[in-house]
Amino acid sequence: MKIWTSEHIFNHPWETVTKAAMQKYPNPMNPSVVGVDVLDRSVDAQGRLHSKRLLSTDWGLPSIVKSFIGNTRTCTYIQEHSVVDPREKTLELQSANITFTNMVSVDERLIYRPHPDDPEKTVLTQEALISVKGVSLSSYLEGVMATTISTNAGKGREAMEWVIMKLNTEIEELAATARGTMRAPMAAAVTEK
Amino acid sequence: MNSVGEGCTDLKREYDQCFNRWFAEKFLKGDRSSDPCTEMFKKYQSCVQKAIKEKDIPIDGVEFMGPDKEKPDS
Repeated sequence: MKIWTSEHIFNHPWETVTKAAMQKYPNPMNPSVVGVDVLDRSVDAQGRLHSKRLLSTDWGLPSIVKSFIGNTRTCTYIQEHSVVDPREKTLELQSANITFTNMVSVDERLIYRPHPDDPEKTVLTQEALISVKGVSLSSYLEGVMATTISTNAGKGREAMEWVIMKLNTEIEELAATARGTMRAPMAAAVTEK
Repeated sequence: MNSVGEGCTDLKREYDQCFNRWFAEKFLKGDRSSDPCTEMFKKYQSCVQKAIKEKDIPIDGVEFMGPDKEKPDS
């Protein structure tokens, strides 16, 4: 069993980060995520939105682990549960692999909340619990997995920045289009006078 | 983004678009009105649940939320 933790600060408000997190895939930094499906979604009595999602990935395990377990299946599936609390401003995500669980389990937990001193910033705390089972080299493999997760966490943050940039561009384009369509009739109205 | 069921991707995208708009414009702004995507979600679900069964993805019986996160060692 190995525990990996990390903290990161995004220079974007919580709402922006949360919007991006909900539509994080596809992004060029995580090409291994090939499918995302919502399986269940509801708002509870406290007004929090719960979503259960299924992520299909064609990555999943380092090749050294694959060589141990003889990975023939092409896809690794991950189930994710997220809770968005718009009042408390928290987004919590928990995910775990649901295939190869007899070999390895990775339980990951992410929380996004506003920076306590700066509402224009968002703090991400992330932890992962890795356990490789029934292999004599398990502690070595857990180390390998931790390194992989560390690398992927970096990619995840880059991905979030990419998605935020994309969303911001879309909003700007929308605003520009709106201005454009407003401008033409306004200009027409002015010249008519 | 694609769906796990190849035939469900269009339904999924239609639903996602509806949801993302509601999420950004209503939910995050404190509007408690329910999302208008229920019908799309139902259609998408009937497609994706079939695909999950066909591919034998072990969705059921997975419990990783809550304080009791311990998984039985196999």
